[in-house]
This record gives sequence, C-alpha cells and structure tokens, in this order.
Amino acid sequence: MAMSETQLVDLVITWVRGNHRPGNSRNGGISADTDLIASGLLDSFGFIDLIVFIESQSGCKIELTDVDPSEFCVVKGLCRITLRNQQN
Amino acid sequence: MPCSPYVEQLVRSTASQQPSIRAALATATRLRYKGLIQGFLDSAERFASREALVVDDKSLSYRELRGRAAAIAKTILDRELESFPLAAILASRSVTAYAGVLGILGSGKGYVPLNPKFPVDRTRKMLALSGSRILVVGREALGQLPRLLLEAAWTLTVILPDLDDAADLCAAFPRHRFVSSRQMADGAGFAFDIEVNSTAVAYLLFTSGSTGEPKGVPIHHSNVGSYIQYISNRYEVTERDRFSQEFDMTFDLSVHDMFVCWERGACLFSVPEKSVMLPAKFIRDHGLTMWFSVPSVVALLSNVRLLQPRCFPSLRFSLFCGEALAATHAQDWQEAAPNSIVENLYGPTETTIAISHYRWYPSKSPQECLNGIVPIGWPFAGQQCCVVDHERGEVSETGELCLAGSQVTDGYWNNLEKTQGQFVRFPETGGTLWYRTGDLVKRGENGCLYYLGRIDHQVKIRGYRVELQEIEVVLRKTSKAEQVVAVPWPVAYGSADGVVAFVSGGSNLDDLHILNRCREVLPDYMVPRKIYRLEEMPLNDNRKIDRKKLVKLLEGA
Repeated sequence: MAMSETQLVDLVITWVRGNHRPGNSRNGGISADTDLIASGLLDSFGFIDLIVFIESQSGCKIELTDVDPSEFCVVKGLCRITLRNQQN
Repeated sequence: MPCSPYVEQLVRSTASQQPSIRAALATATRLRYKGLIQGFLDSAERFASREALVVDDKSLSYRELRGRAAAIAKTILDRELESFPLAAILASRSVTAYAGVLGILGSGKGYVPLNPKFPVDRTRKMLALSGSRILVVGREALGQLPRLLLEAAWTLTVILPDLDDAADLCAAFPRHRFVSSRQMADGAGFAFDIEVNSTAVAYLLFTSGSTGEPKGVPIHHSNVGSYIQYISNRYEVTERDRFSQEFDMTFDLSVHDMFVCWERGACLFSVPEKSVMLPAKFIRDHGLTMWFSVPSVVALLSNVRLLQPRCFPSLRFSLFCGEALAATHAQDWQEAAPNSIVENLYGPTETTIAISHYRWYPSKSPQECLNGIVPIGWPFAGQQCCVVDHERGEVSETGELCLAGSQVTDGYWNNLEKTQGQFVRFPETGGTLWYRTGDLVKRGENGCLYYLGRIDHQVKIRGYRVELQEIEVVLRKTSKAEQVVAVPWPVAYGSADGVVAFVSGGSNLDDLHILNRCREVLPDYMVPRKIYRLEEMPLNDNRKIDRKKLVKLLEGA
C-alpha cells in the first residue's frame, strides 16, 4: 500500500503519542519536525520498535546504512527515508 | 619517580641562565608524579601537532587540547577559595567536557563527572556528596545551571569556558562566584608543574545505591594507572589508533576511552548523542580502529540490519563491557569486523573499569559459552580473584566473585558502613583486602570465570548498574502505595532493556504523575516504563514478595 508523506507522518506521530517514554512532558508538542531522540520522547529501544512498526505498516524495509542519525531521528526525515525505500 | 623537593629547591636556587640548569629543572618537573594526566602530557610533547580529539565536527591537536586544559587548570588554582582535592565537571561530549577533565587533573585534583542528562536533583546530590567547591560547566549544561545553583547551600566557584559574560548569573546567585571565559586565566605559560600522591583520588564516580542515595566510588591514581598500563600494552595502542568515545563520563568505561587513547598519542572520536546506540555510519566515516561499548549496541544494530558482514573493516580491536555479552552478538560483531579481535571485558566500578577478559575465537568460543553468554574469562595479570560461599570460605566452583589487586579501590566515599560490608579480609588470605562483587560466578577447571547472575537485587540496564531498591524508594515516596516492586523487564541474556513497576494498596495517584516525579529524580534508564497495579502482591513460602511470580505475570501479559 503506497502512502503519502503526510499519511506516514500522521501514523508515526500517533504511534509515538501512544508509545513515548513515560513521564515525558514534551509529548504535547510533537510534530513532523520533532527529533524523537533529542526530545527524549523515545530512547534507542523505542526507536527500534518504531522502525519495526513503520516497516509493518508500509510493507518495506527501512535502509539506514548510509543515512545520518540527524536525518532519521526526525519524524519527517524518517518518513522520507521510508518512502524513498518504497520507491526503490 | 618523584623528584625530591630538596633537590628541586637546590636547582631552583642556583638557577642561572645556563642551559644545563634549565634542562635539569625541566627534567625535575617532568619526573614529578602527575598521576592519570601523565600519559596525555607526554603525548602532548611527543605528538603536539597530531589530532587528539574530534568532537562536534571540531578537531583539536594535542597542543590545542593541552592549551584548553591549561587555561582551566590555571583558573582553578587561581580562583579556588579553599584547597579541596576534588573538582566537578558538568558537561558532555564537548570540547569543554574533555578539556575540563584534563584541566581538573592538571590542577592536581581528582575529577567528579556530572551528567547534564541526569535530573538536576540527582546532580545536586552527587555534587554535595563529593564536597566539590569548584564546578566546570560546558555550554550544553548552561540551561540547567540555575536550577542546580538555586538550592546549592554552599558557595561554589563556577568556571564557564563557553560563556563570555556571567553578569546575569552573578546578579541572580550572589552566593556563588562565576568565572566567564573572558575572566579565565591564560594557560599559555602553565607548565602543569604539579605533583600528586599515587593514593590521591583520580576520579570519583557515583553508582546506584540501595538506600536511595547515590554511592561514591573513589578511584585512586595508582588504581587507574595499573589499568592504563596493562591495557595499553595488551592492545599495543599506537599514535595511529582512532578510538571511539561512546560512554557518558559518569560511566567509568569513558576513562578507558580517554586515557588509554591519549596515553599513546592516539585520537579520540566523541560519538554524538544521536549515534551512540546506532554508531555504524560513525565507525565507517571515521575509520575507527578501537571500539568499546556495551553489548546492547550490537543487538540494536543487528535489529535494524546495520550489522552486515565486513561492514567495519577498519577495526582492529572491539571491546565489550558493562553487561553480559551474548555469544550470538560476539559472533555477529566478529563477522562485521573481520580484522578485529573481539574481547569481553568485565569489572565493577570499584575494580577500575575492567579487571578480567575473555578473547573470542570464532572456532572454539561458541562451545565455551554457558547459557549462550560469553565467559568473563581470567583476571588481568597481577590482579586476583577468589570465589566464596555464603560463609566466605573459598570454594572451588560456584559462588560470589571477590577481587583484589592494584586496580581495586579501598572503600566507598565517606561511607564506612557500605565499605565494611563490601571490602573484606579473609583469614586464609592474610592481609589482602577483597572487594565482594555480589556477582555469582562459576569457575571452570582452567580457571575461566562464567557470569551466572547477582546474589542481590542489583541489575544491569543497558550496562548501567542499578539497585532496584533505589527505584523502589522513589516509587514508594511518589505513589504513596503500601507495596512497590521494581522488576527489570524485558531481560535477555542476563541484561535488561528497562524496568517496570508493580504497586499495590493505598495509591490513588495516577500513573503519569508518579512517572513524572520519578523522572525528576532518577536518570532516564531507571524510570519505570510502565506501572502495573495489583490488588495484592504475590507472596512466596517465606511470606516475601514473590518476584518470580511478577516476572511470570509479565511473560503472560
């Protein structure tokens, strides 16, 4: 199923709202530009869970080998990488 | 070898313009025992223009890093109000963090690392327990400085190498003294003309304490000196090596990264926060030769398919420490780094970074693993171990691991009760002081040690040592519940990814409130991921809370 960037961003934001690290007061402000690690919303283990979720929803493998963390830690960046992989 | 003060005085008093006298004076200064910083200073002389540090995309040569450290060291000595053997550093993964550690050591003091990622309450507690009156603060920690100072009930001298103007802080906190970058001393002429005692504290770290208070572990120059020499020789470190720097400075494994690297003139690559758990690209981009991390990193890389065969050809040594290393992870890493020797290191903070090792051999090691976990191997040459039973008589096979030797410290910081509990002498080993690790091990016929678990409620979460009781103290206070239990979860190969909480009776507070409060006082890795509410706790035959049943509940959830 091909998804648009907006759809995927919404999906990710919804997932993060339901699965973010407990007790984090910054969860109200999550947007497409939020850095999920720097904001403390997810730790690296939560981030892996998110990748597994996106892969299951988008039906494609996310390739992070040559991507800089400053790109894939941001909601929008992660979604673009996913969609790039979907096209290839 | 320290130079006699008398000889030095004589040289000074007769010093003329004669080059031979000046050379003798320089030699005398160099021969003074400077402790942990000695290796860095030697490398700064031998390899002045070589890269010493890469951090935040900035590269500093040994000369430049020495200069930054000199400015901090001289400022400390000029500005301290009363002499105290320790100074604290609140910084992370920045030039100031590394120059601050070196500057404090260069002033002849031991350093106390504080973590800007930790809750301010905890940092304030650690600062107070250390007794430090000097605090060096990096740019990345300026945001939390006002909250830290607000309730600091003693006068601090705060050195701010990254802040040009401290007027606002001076006005807001008249109790404390601030030194901005413009007011700092010029380190240009500073010769690190210090002498420290080998029994002085090189660094003071805090670990989780069962009473709810962090526990201070002082490591002396002689302890860490033994480690650095042994490891530098074992791994034949040279100035061409490129070291990873993964660990936070509050984790003692960071001492290995910095000081083994600088001992031989190598370059240290500070891994940015975002790459710490997924460092594959960083390793490749910088052509690292020496890798050191917790084993959890291997699992994470593997999960996102970033651990491909031969993806790290530049590595020549890969060291893992801090938690149990699964055999499958050792194997996967070995395939990813085919030119690298893989070793599992083991050691509590009290025994200085690591004290035993096991080298992974793909052909025979899989058969030597126990329960799928890589052995912790044999003690370093010159260090001692024994395995004791409940009555503390030495046993041959399974029991608590005790350690002794030049790397083992002699007690906790200002905590006689804990010291007497963990640092003991056995009648049959004469006057040797042993540290009881609390780790349950099995000793094989060839002397190889296998980690089996803990004899108490301490756990490892992503390599961090955690006393579950410390979490329970906070949970009890914040939830007002009658019974609280913290359970490491999920657990794989003896290491936990996190912790969850069970509460029962008397608590009407909502989970978010409780967890928010936990986050205010506990570091991230100790905050429960979830709270489970029970009518009552399951009990075992001794009428104690049955932790195994709680784990079963989680397994069934």
